[in-house]
Amino acid sequence: MTSSPSETETAVHPLQAFADRVAEVVGGVAEITFDTVKVKVPVERWVEIHRQARDDLGLVFFSWLSAVDWTLDVAVGDPPGGEVIDRFEMLTTVGDVSEGKRVTFTADLSKESPVIDSLVEVYAGANWHEREAAEMFGIRFEGHPDLSHLYLVDSFIGNPLRKSYPLLSREVKPWPGTVDVEGMPGSAAEPDEPSEENPEA
Amino acid sequence: MVADQDLVRHLSEASVSVSLETPEMTLNIGPQHPSTHGVLRLVARVDGERAYDVHPVIGYMHRGYEKLSEVRTYPQITTLVNRIDWVSGYANEVPFIVAAEKLMQVEVPERAQYIRLILTEMARISSHLIFMASYPLELGAATPLFFALRERERMLDLLESVTGGRFHPNFNRIGGVKPAYGSGSQTRKVLQDLPAGFFAETRDAVGHVLGVADEIETLVAGNEIILARTKGIGVLPVEIATSFGVSGPNLRASGVPFDLRKVEHYLPYDKFDFEIPIGENGDCWDRWWVRLAEIRQSARIIQQAIDGIPSGPLQAKVPKVIKVPKGETYVRAENPKGEMGYYLVSEGGQGPYRLKIRSASFSNLSILPWILEGVLVPDIIAIMGSLDFVLGDVDR
Repeated sequence: MTSSPSETETAVHPLQAFADRVAEVVGGVAEITFDTVKVKVPVERWVEIHRQARDDLGLVFFSWLSAVDWTLDVAVGDPPGGEVIDRFEMLTTVGDVSEGKRVTFTADLSKESPVIDSLVEVYAGANWHEREAAEMFGIRFEGHPDLSHLYLVDSFIGNPLRKSYPLLSREVKPWPGTVDVEGMPGSAAEPDEPSEENPEA
Repeated sequence: MVADQDLVRHLSEASVSVSLETPEMTLNIGPQHPSTHGVLRLVARVDGERAYDVHPVIGYMHRGYEKLSEVRTYPQITTLVNRIDWVSGYANEVPFIVAAEKLMQVEVPERAQYIRLILTEMARISSHLIFMASYPLELGAATPLFFALRERERMLDLLESVTGGRFHPNFNRIGGVKPAYGSGSQTRKVLQDLPAGFFAETRDAVGHVLGVADEIETLVAGNEIILARTKGIGVLPVEIATSFGVSGPNLRASGVPFDLRKVEHYLPYDKFDFEIPIGENGDCWDRWWVRLAEIRQSARIIQQAIDGIPSGPLQAKVPKVIKVPKGETYVRAENPKGEMGYYLVSEGGQGPYRLKIRSASFSNLSILPWILEGVLVPDIIAIMGSLDFVLGDVDR
């Protein structure tokens, strides 16, 4: 979401020309975040934009597809540092197989009805990635040939990578537990000092 | 001899009306099968000797690392990620650490980068040697295994002498590397470094690897049965490979000279002279040949890196408690199996907000329904083996 300070200070990022070209061809907002070209596109044109990327920009290599669950209400881990809009952020990365150019496309999905068109027609490799995103986040991919579970057993209920999904082992045993790590040989003189991660120790 | 004549007449008049009945059946391979490199199940519809509608069933080894890393701190996550592709555990750590360093804008000392590079190439050699061992075995040739595993053990011993672990080194730190306790200087006050004699032994081991590559080539490339089993089998066209996201040696065997070591700058590969071996036909044979050639190239890189390794510290100055500033990035690396990448989303905490793990074998395996359509049943094993996947890398 943010770009590093050095990028705003220096004149032009080496990837700027490529980012501009992608934004021009597909029509979207390009930004460069830590050497990653990220282009935000409207969800309605998701498939069309990937087809343009493949045919017009030569980004024929399908790297991956996944999502990020943005919410302040998290069951595991730390919540985001600042205000966020509740949404699923869809992400795909496609690239070429000559110069190493790659671009990450992103689109926002609402939490209430996370539906997006399937990319299987454009990139065959999206099939498994979409099945994974479907079971892990509960996102529905319109036009996908078979959205059955990929990793999880068929009877599994819930979407584990949603932030609202608790990690059961954490429920049973809170984190951090007590520090039971022994000192290194020869360092026995060092007393256990309470560290920042673990104020209880 | 009347009876015999009757019999002869009877036999000559009897027309063979039995047509070979080949009812379709469902063939189940795995999950426990030596050629599945872990636990993979294939369900295929078999008509005679040919397989159709192959349906891979994965997830037997799904360990949920993406979820787990949301509750772990950055230094703890290297322990998780080197269990993804355990055959080259060291190489998995590098892109993750580089992603975190990128967000923290830490400059890693050059010596540490060289050490990372040397160990990554050693991991590549040991991973490819496993392939050199297991692939002929799956085709029925047991001998190359002994040659390959002997040299792999040498590599793993060296990795262990530096990192303390054969498979799970957990060696990279944000900002540098951390040799095992006891290596380098004996007193803890002095800067730790690689164990004494490491470079000399590595040079020696690399020489052995180059030797065994020649031996394996003689053993396998001159074997007519292996040639018959692999040449022209499982041809993978470039367009199909890229659209499925097949990467690494499998893509290069189809004739694409694309290697992330040349285009991404996660380690100083631009300082070394090495070639990208490519295949011509994209068949099983080319996939075998490309990996053999890559062993030789990795050996070359290691030799050059040992010659040119600079002196200096192994660790940049970083805070005691690692907190990665807000930001997101995707860092990918050329791992032995292909493109391994991490999309890291940090919100300024001690652990990632989200860590997407892009593993090479996952995309490489997703080609199976396409590439196994209509092949002979014995070729299933030949083709699967040539893709060189590890189920830990598929299931994450």
